[in-house]
Amino acid sequence: MRSRKNALLAMSLFAASSLAAAGIFPYPYTQEDLPNGLRLIVIPTDYPNIVSLFIVVGAGSRNEVEPGKSGFAHLFEHLMFRGTAEFPPARYEAELQNDGAASNAFTSDDLTAFHTTFSKEDLPRILSMEADRFQHLAYDPSAFKTETLAVLGEYNKNSASPASKLNETVRATAFKVHTYRHTTMGFLKDIEAMPEEYDYSRQFFDRYYRPEYTTIIVAGDVDAKKVRSMVDERWGAWKRGSFKPSIPVEPPQDAPRFAHVDWPVETLPWVEVAYHGPAYTDTTAETAALDAISRLGFDQTSPLYQKLVIEEQKVDALSAGPPDNLDPELFTVRARVKHEADLPYVQQQIIATAQGFGTTPVDAKKLEILKQHLRYEFALQLNNSESIAETVAQFVALRRTPATIDRYYDEYAKLTPEDIRKAARKYLIDRNRTVVTLSSKPGVGAK
Amino acid sequence: MRRGAVLFALTAASAFGGPRIVQLPGKSPLVTLRFVFTTGSASDPSDKPGLAHLTAALMGDGGTKDLTYKQIVDAMYPMATSVDVYSDKEMTTFVGETHIDNLDKFYGLMRDMILHPGWRADDFKRVRDDSINALRVSLRGNNDEELGKEELYNVIYRGRPYGHENLGTAAALGKMTVADLRDFYRGHYTQANLIIGIAGGYSPEFLARVKRDFETLPAGPADRFDEMPLPAKITHNQATLVQKDTRSVAWSLGYPIDVKRGDPDFPALLVAGSWLGQHRESGGRLFRRMRELRGLNYGDYAYMEYFPRGMFRFEPEPNLARHQQIFQIWIRPVEPPNAVFALRLALFELDKMVKNGIPPAEFEKTRSFLSKYVNILTKTKSAELGYAIDSEYYGIPNYNEYIRGALAKLTVADVNAAIGRHLRADNLDIVGVAKDTDSIRAALTGNSATPIHYNATKPPDVIEEDKIVERWPFGLRAEDVTVVPVETVFEN
Repeated sequence: MRSRKNALLAMSLFAASSLAAAGIFPYPYTQEDLPNGLRLIVIPTDYPNIVSLFIVVGAGSRNEVEPGKSGFAHLFEHLMFRGTAEFPPARYEAELQNDGAASNAFTSDDLTAFHTTFSKEDLPRILSMEADRFQHLAYDPSAFKTETLAVLGEYNKNSASPASKLNETVRATAFKVHTYRHTTMGFLKDIEAMPEEYDYSRQFFDRYYRPEYTTIIVAGDVDAKKVRSMVDERWGAWKRGSFKPSIPVEPPQDAPRFAHVDWPVETLPWVEVAYHGPAYTDTTAETAALDAISRLGFDQTSPLYQKLVIEEQKVDALSAGPPDNLDPELFTVRARVKHEADLPYVQQQIIATAQGFGTTPVDAKKLEILKQHLRYEFALQLNNSESIAETVAQFVALRRTPATIDRYYDEYAKLTPEDIRKAARKYLIDRNRTVVTLSSKPGVGAK
Repeated sequence: MRRGAVLFALTAASAFGGPRIVQLPGKSPLVTLRFVFTTGSASDPSDKPGLAHLTAALMGDGGTKDLTYKQIVDAMYPMATSVDVYSDKEMTTFVGETHIDNLDKFYGLMRDMILHPGWRADDFKRVRDDSINALRVSLRGNNDEELGKEELYNVIYRGRPYGHENLGTAAALGKMTVADLRDFYRGHYTQANLIIGIAGGYSPEFLARVKRDFETLPAGPADRFDEMPLPAKITHNQATLVQKDTRSVAWSLGYPIDVKRGDPDFPALLVAGSWLGQHRESGGRLFRRMRELRGLNYGDYAYMEYFPRGMFRFEPEPNLARHQQIFQIWIRPVEPPNAVFALRLALFELDKMVKNGIPPAEFEKTRSFLSKYVNILTKTKSAELGYAIDSEYYGIPNYNEYIRGALAKLTVADVNAAIGRHLRADNLDIVGVAKDTDSIRAALTGNSATPIHYNATKPPDVIEEDKIVERWPFGLRAEDVTVVPVETVFEN
């Protein structure tokens, strides 16, 4: 059941919206499948002139199952700009330039998304260009090799940040077999070997750049019927594929794990505490419960933040991330500590707080305030067509429909202190835990 | 100068008529508030670099007279709101957005942050630590690209009001006291310096109340930036190499230009900059020749206005208006063996643009792009409001109309003439962040070729061009290259 408060908020926010959108997601939308399996979601918004197009391919670094081949989903984020016979890169860019379009792409564990935001009159042409590159991408081995260097350049520009290295190390330590072991960038040795993998890249494209893996999201100043006929015309002939990856299942962890990173230049030390958690769910309370713990336990209003950051001033950054991926992933808490000597203390405080949720029930009133916060947070986030499309894209990677947004927030609305306690007892436990520290001072990592 | 006269007229009027107001009324249930004070690090006392920034940071991340910081955060939480504070050379911005249900409560908290700061010692200690760590760790330690860009500004404006990082120096921050901040607040948080921006479905009564509240600030004085000394003239190429243990080499280069938003040549230079290197788009000349064709790095861009935090953002934040701007090229990190070649290629492309101008067909494309891209820049109400405030400051009409109108009248000859008047491919400041600064210095000052290393075959015309690029002259003598250990940057 939807909470009455949700419905009221949605109505007061967007009085023009129809009743079809009585959940937290306030926009009515259409969702249709073409015969070839391509899914189209159209969301007319009340923001004028602009249209935002997100094309989500349900393949991210999770799909990189062969050893030595990490980073290929992300490589395609790049290769897709390498053009086709009809639209070589120069022409593709010239068209986008004529349209004043902002075009880019991103990759995560579970998805690769290509997005373009532009003036509404340019929608037919941009849909044609996108249809062309998804169906007829053509790059030669030389262009391929050159693009792998741009990917290495991306790794290089990230490499100055200890947070990137911390993330790499946490994953590589906590996971032994699942593809979440590597980041979306991939292992450095795999990136360096990419130039010789032209044939594999064609195979990767052939597997995943297929209609049954793809969802087109169009949000903005549009008419759903017209968009459907444009998509039929341009994308209808795209051939369905047959590949299904076999993603290795991570065995349960049996004891706590540790790792340490020696950082070569001056930085403040970091500690990250991670626990194996569940896969995303919109039918039980688990995802919502761990999200609630990440907020009640570690955000700006939490007692631990108050203690470590505001009162004791031992930490200058504290944040937590709940697991919300297709497959079971990590609940993480990360802190930047001002002095090396405080690392063990901060680590112990984080562990005690996270695992404390399994014993002490949360205050029901605090949970209600959090629920109120979430409703406003979600509404404030949808402040333009691009962010509406992007929000939907993140959920589409998980369930391929915006309906999961309402289902997830409904689970959240029903969440009880006991649900939270149960989730903590199941996941935030010693044997599920990985701790990684990072420091530029010698000798800090000794355990 | 026309610009100065307009600014003076505005500030003079406001000294008598209260804060300036920029309004975008509408029906949206979301209300955006932007309080912009036209003061910033260019107003820092010379012995207290970073004072303007730290004052704003404590106001935004500390308690008020009545509430502790914790109480403010708790009060904002159910509304999912916050106030973001950022500070540049001439502007300090407090911005927040709320659902109209919560407008009164949210506004009360935001107002007290600005009108009744708490100045608590424990907040001060925390916020000052944050600033020092932002300099030493986040900027100097963890972000080679922004380090290079900010150091370029420091080098170009050395000895001038813009000549220090907005955050200040670690040494000066270490000596600052709450009393310094309160002094700065009293002298600069005035009605004459204030532009109030508001957008969304607020009522006229609400706006009248905001106006009344902020009329309790002192009437003046107003900060003046229209008569600042100009940066020193760059008479030959010069390079600063920041020595740091890092994987690759990040470059930034540029020089001051006497053109800012509202000046006659600004739209023409906007076209030139977009053609050479539109930020984070693949259509720019540098991107195509350096990344796409040669795989040198992740991207290469050009700028006519200050654009900080570009590695995290696709569109610039508004309210970073400046009276003095530089032309800048940003070369993202390059593998060391190709680093000097990449720098040469950027100079080669810049030289080509300066000598040959922009081809007519490409001018049309770039103009079309920019005419529509303004919609993207102002896609949120908050951004639209920010641009409107900047337009008020620069004395120009609504930004979208200003740009579209000016572009419609522009010809390729205008653009190429403006390039001729303001841009050049020599007399540059270059900043590099690198590990092996000795060999880079040797390559910059020696006259030997620095060929590119490819992993794939390239067409003959590219190979031919590379032969010219690999020997592109820097004209740098040994004394023109300074090596700076990273530990000393932003320290004193």
